[in-house]
Amino acid sequence: MELLGNGLNVVLRPLPGVPQVSVWTVYRVGSRNEVPGMTGSTHWVEHMLFKGGGKLGKGDLDRLISRVGGKYNGFTDKDWTMYYETVPAEHLETALFVESERMRNAAFNPKEFDAERSVVISEREGSENQPEFLVEEELWGTAFHVHPYHWLPIGYKQDLARMTRDEVYAWYRKWYAPNNAFLVLVGGFDPDRAAALVHTYFDPLRPEATPPAPRFEEPPQMGERAAEIRRPGEVDHFEVGWKIPGWSHADTPRIVMLTGVLGGWRGFGLAGSGGWVPRANRLYRGLVEARLVSDVRAGFEMRLDPALLTVAATLVPGVRHQEVERRLDEIVGKLREAAPTEREMERARELVRAWDRYEADGVTSQAFMIGQLEVLGSRESFPEFLDRALAVTPEEVRGAAATYLVDRARTAVRARSEAPA
Amino acid sequence: MTLRPERLALEGGGRVLFLRNPASPFVSFHGSLPAGVAAERPGEEGVSEFLSRLLLSGTESRNARQISEALEGHGATLEFHVAEDLLVFRGRTTRRAAGRALGIAADCLAHPILPAKEVERVRAEVLTDLGRERDSTRERADRELMGLVFPGRHPYGRDPKGDEEAVKSIEPRPLLEFHARCYGREGLILALAGDVDGAFVGSTVARALDALVVGPPPDSAPPPGPARPATAFVDLPHKSQADIAIGRQAIPRRHPDFYALDLANLLFGMIGIYGRLGQSVREDKGLAYYSLSRLRALRSGGSVSIIAGVNPGGLEAAMAAISAEIDRVRSEPFTEDEIETGRLNRIGGLAVNLERNAEVAAALHGIEFHELGLDYLERYPGIVKGLSDEAIRTAAERYIRKEDASLVVVGPIGGRTFAL
Repeated sequence: MELLGNGLNVVLRPLPGVPQVSVWTVYRVGSRNEVPGMTGSTHWVEHMLFKGGGKLGKGDLDRLISRVGGKYNGFTDKDWTMYYETVPAEHLETALFVESERMRNAAFNPKEFDAERSVVISEREGSENQPEFLVEEELWGTAFHVHPYHWLPIGYKQDLARMTRDEVYAWYRKWYAPNNAFLVLVGGFDPDRAAALVHTYFDPLRPEATPPAPRFEEPPQMGERAAEIRRPGEVDHFEVGWKIPGWSHADTPRIVMLTGVLGGWRGFGLAGSGGWVPRANRLYRGLVEARLVSDVRAGFEMRLDPALLTVAATLVPGVRHQEVERRLDEIVGKLREAAPTEREMERARELVRAWDRYEADGVTSQAFMIGQLEVLGSRESFPEFLDRALAVTPEEVRGAAATYLVDRARTAVRARSEAPA
Repeated sequence: MTLRPERLALEGGGRVLFLRNPASPFVSFHGSLPAGVAAERPGEEGVSEFLSRLLLSGTESRNARQISEALEGHGATLEFHVAEDLLVFRGRTTRRAAGRALGIAADCLAHPILPAKEVERVRAEVLTDLGRERDSTRERADRELMGLVFPGRHPYGRDPKGDEEAVKSIEPRPLLEFHARCYGREGLILALAGDVDGAFVGSTVARALDALVVGPPPDSAPPPGPARPATAFVDLPHKSQADIAIGRQAIPRRHPDFYALDLANLLFGMIGIYGRLGQSVREDKGLAYYSLSRLRALRSGGSVSIIAGVNPGGLEAAMAAISAEIDRVRSEPFTEDEIETGRLNRIGGLAVNLERNAEVAAALHGIEFHELGLDYLERYPGIVKGLSDEAIRTAAERYIRKEDASLVVVGPIGGRTFAL
């Protein structure tokens, strides 16, 4: 890790002989930093950063990266925003040029901004078409009353309709500065040359005053919360979330293993599980094999602040929510009362070990993981974190279930489909 | 990393391709049997998909729980999917567990027992998925479009899942008959990437595949018959936005126009933020978050299609913008600069798009299935460089057309109808 004079942190992971390089700029801003009325502003900034500014005209970014065969994208999350290019290794400089230009010089052309409003709203409307999105939004909105995790990064449509160009531009200028970002390079490059290029492109960028940290703290949940969505449709959904601590908490390794025992482990990051469904776990056996749901997924996000461990399921036609919830309560109750078997633990450990390898496949995935861990302040300690997870005992998993998978910290969303009017 | 895979023909039938990637020390595999929708006979609609979902449900020597425990106990993943031409199986494993994981895959393919309880579980799962698809504007638009583009219940136009009535009545017997006819190892293709080498494949992998049963592959899908342009409009009033799907038949993968059309499609609706289509519909007019084109080139036929997710108030404008872009393929053919950008993108993208083991394994599988030759990845830049500008423009004019295209709109559209 190298720190530039303007506050930009740089992480270099050279992989000699690898023919690609992935360049990621990670900003410590996400929907966690937003306030009511401006929800979705961070995500809108992301859209505007593909539209030129400084030495980049409209369409230049696309053209520069496309002409070298690269891929690029941006992601806005609750805790962070990331932009990346993965290009053939010899085109590292092109990616650095692009990232340096948009860090401070995005144009935010008013006409472009207005045209993008309907694109951002269209992105939200496309999500609204998916019942799973509506359930997700309702879950976080019900579970969090005060903390900005209350809303999703896409923001509310009413805010997106009203927000002005100047407001979003001010948001960009406030958060997009070298001292609130870091750069991750993974792939086939010479570290000395890469460092020199980073200095060339990023040293001239001036820092901003560091914005204050968010001061929102979610009060303790005092009892079970529930919400219902009734909507025309064909299939019913169910999602439940239990409050869990932020990533840096000492119990997080136990929550990893708890998730693995409960629903199988599918990794942290970009590697994705594709269509693979873990089946040797309690949720699959208790819910899917019993023909109550057609699919079930357990997981938790790597979050700076206390967040949720979630279980989401799609109900088989004709099955009622009460049946699914009753069975889920039994599954969770058993885990609170008795430690999992050593065989269950060993399977969960093997999946965690294996996914650690799978998530290191390719420069893009590696850089993403580095970015995610750096935001959480645990990049360098991640190997020890994994060791701690693998050393978790069955009794500690039971303890984690008894501590966190409790009704008073639970929020449930039931989505019921109704025949169209 | 070399781009030239090695091939091993297995005794008893089947071919294995593999490529070592020292940067990623585990194994991704991507295999297939020609037991996709195309192998279904009349009256078997939905059988290939149904059977594929039962393959992890138990074999003569292992029950479903033993299968999942054996795989996950070694950190391995295994999944089965049905596509138009193929049953695909793929997964990830450590080298140490690869023999076991592939042995289980072979056992699942060769000796499924279809327990009654699991048959009912899969039936419920498929019915749920059919309901979910009916309620998804994008999936439904795509499914309706393929039915219009490949009419007459052609395998490329059918929902692999079958329809609700068929799923409700599927019994084990036709599943077993389909299995006996279509799961012979002579049609096996298995591609491996990552921590693999010749000795490992010749011993561990070949031994793991011993369980496969001997048998010839079924026939390929017949070429699709001609399709007349048609329309379908489905009102889903509770949705926020509508999906437009436009498409027509194109060419199979081995057609001489493939590379020219692939590049034309890239420029028309894929490169960067969705090529010319995205530039107009999204970037200039702000009408959609996604507006893109796709080329599907299968063994016996193919299609070119356009999809866009649009607010119902912007449907006419989006339709006009898409129509204008299709017209512009003729009135303002791709410029030299556009075409050169496309060529460079495809050539540079070869390295970028093969960064992960799973991507390499999928590419190797495609090379073998379409009989492109072991030197294909090395030849590819030359193929792209050798395409003339005129060939690319001609392919665009020939296949990206609206005159014989079908049109589907699904979403909150009331009783409205549309035309290109």
